[in-house]
Amino acid sequence: MSAPAIDTALSPVGLGKTRAEDARAVRATGASITARGLTKVYGAGDRAVHALGPIDLDIRAGEFVSLIGPSGCGKSTTMLLVAGLEPLTEGTLAVDDAPLTKPLSDVGIVFQDHLLLDFRTALKNVLFQQEIRGSDRSEAVERARHLFAKLGLEGAEKRYPWQLSGGMKQRVSIARALVHDPSMLLMDEPFGALDAITRTQIRHDLEALWLESRKTVLFITHSIEQAVGLSDRVLVMSSSPGRIVDEVAIDLPRPRPAHLGDHPEFAGYASRIYATFEKLGVYRFSK
Amino acid sequence: MRRAMTQTTIETKAASGRYAGVRTAVGGWAGSALYTIAAVVFLLFVWEVLVRLYDAPIWLVPKPSDFLPRFFVDLPLIAGHAWSTSVTLFLGFVAAIAVSVPLAWTIVSFGVLERGLYPIIVFLNIMPKTVIGPILIVWFGIGPLVSVVIVFLMCFFPILVDSMSGFRSVDRRLFYITRSMGARPWQELWHVRLPASATYIFAGMKIGIVKATEGVIIAEFIASDRGLGFMIMNASSFMDLTLLFSGLIAAAIVALIFNALVLTAERLAMPWAR
Repeated sequence: MSAPAIDTALSPVGLGKTRAEDARAVRATGASITARGLTKVYGAGDRAVHALGPIDLDIRAGEFVSLIGPSGCGKSTTMLLVAGLEPLTEGTLAVDDAPLTKPLSDVGIVFQDHLLLDFRTALKNVLFQQEIRGSDRSEAVERARHLFAKLGLEGAEKRYPWQLSGGMKQRVSIARALVHDPSMLLMDEPFGALDAITRTQIRHDLEALWLESRKTVLFITHSIEQAVGLSDRVLVMSSSPGRIVDEVAIDLPRPRPAHLGDHPEFAGYASRIYATFEKLGVYRFSK
Repeated sequence: MRRAMTQTTIETKAASGRYAGVRTAVGGWAGSALYTIAAVVFLLFVWEVLVRLYDAPIWLVPKPSDFLPRFFVDLPLIAGHAWSTSVTLFLGFVAAIAVSVPLAWTIVSFGVLERGLYPIIVFLNIMPKTVIGPILIVWFGIGPLVSVVIVFLMCFFPILVDSMSGFRSVDRRLFYITRSMGARPWQELWHVRLPASATYIFAGMKIGIVKATEGVIIAEFIASDRGLGFMIMNASSFMDLTLLFSGLIAAAIVALIFNALVLTAERLAMPWAR
């Protein structure tokens, strides 16, 4: 499917924008990430742990990139470095060609756990973003409502996290990460704690949101299905220290279906990643 | 379709939940109060009958019909002492909250403090607080101040320890998110750490107030010239057992009121809680 086809597949954005503005929104997009020799060592001396790198990253504006790899391969570290939340040990890192010197603020972050505030309702949790940033309230409320609609959260606005299912909590968490319309979305195993059916639904909803605005997404996962199902490009990582060992461009039409297995290409991409994992010794299957 | 279904389920749940809540609130509250009153009346009745049956002397075991009237006859005396005890309790308790919660935050915020102070806190927490009484008498003399300090020490440690657990309980990844929002330390404290630890702080307060109501009476036994503890001690030395028993009941009432106050404060401060 080409770009115009995607455009027709889009539902109205709903913020009073015209069709033309929509199209512009699709083009005008997220931030680019450039890293050279990115290295992270935790601790020092004898107890130093070489967690990552050196790795190079070239993530284009508006690209959906997944990092996939075994536990402890430095995926989460990569994300924290890109967000400017952990200092890098060596190398250079630039977002939109500007070297990163402090925590990135034009960003939304989602972790595996929803990390919602128990004492705020779903909507208030999302608006927390606006309250801390001190941005315009009514605009944020409008965007929050739009995201709630897009994420299937209508009616949940006034519920506290304990009144929501696991899937809904994670949806609220995604809305919180997007309410300020950041140019980059960082997600660390966001569907890791969800059941398979919810996971497939949220994958679809996230893809629809991404198609709407084309922000840069760095998506960390253990799941080949999610990586291939969502990404433009999958970076396969190996552990200790974390390195990027393979790069797979995923050329599948969007929006991608619930059952990816029907696509012969999907099987191809998946086998390639499995093969890399086997080569790395991630799997130890008896032959 | 999926969305519509989710919404209906939630609404049904909310509706049944709401009515169930109202039902339990009305039936449960009035019901349990009725049962309690009935049980108390029955107990007093059995007491009265047994004492009459065995003809126990009033200086050994007074009957309810002996000591309950003291509440009316000596109301100004008992109420005065009860008031004094309440003021002591209140001051000690509030001071403990005012010091322990900020201190807990400071300790948790600085790793060095935590490692250095925690063993000391554990030691002071385990140490029986009333042993400080005689020392305090030397320092401050006999008077309500000693009782206030003992109440303070009694509830200080449970609130401190629980507040620290509360402040520590916040997932540090949440602070990655708040830092990406550009939150300042005071915003993190006010919007995240403090409300997130409210459950823990109130848990500490609930333990603290029980210890404090125990401690205030003991403190007044040893070092006060007023308060229910002092009144009871005095009654004991004069073998005034009816006053002793009414003092006991008054102390229980003060403890009940303070417990109820803490529970009410918790409900008001945390409307989000179940």
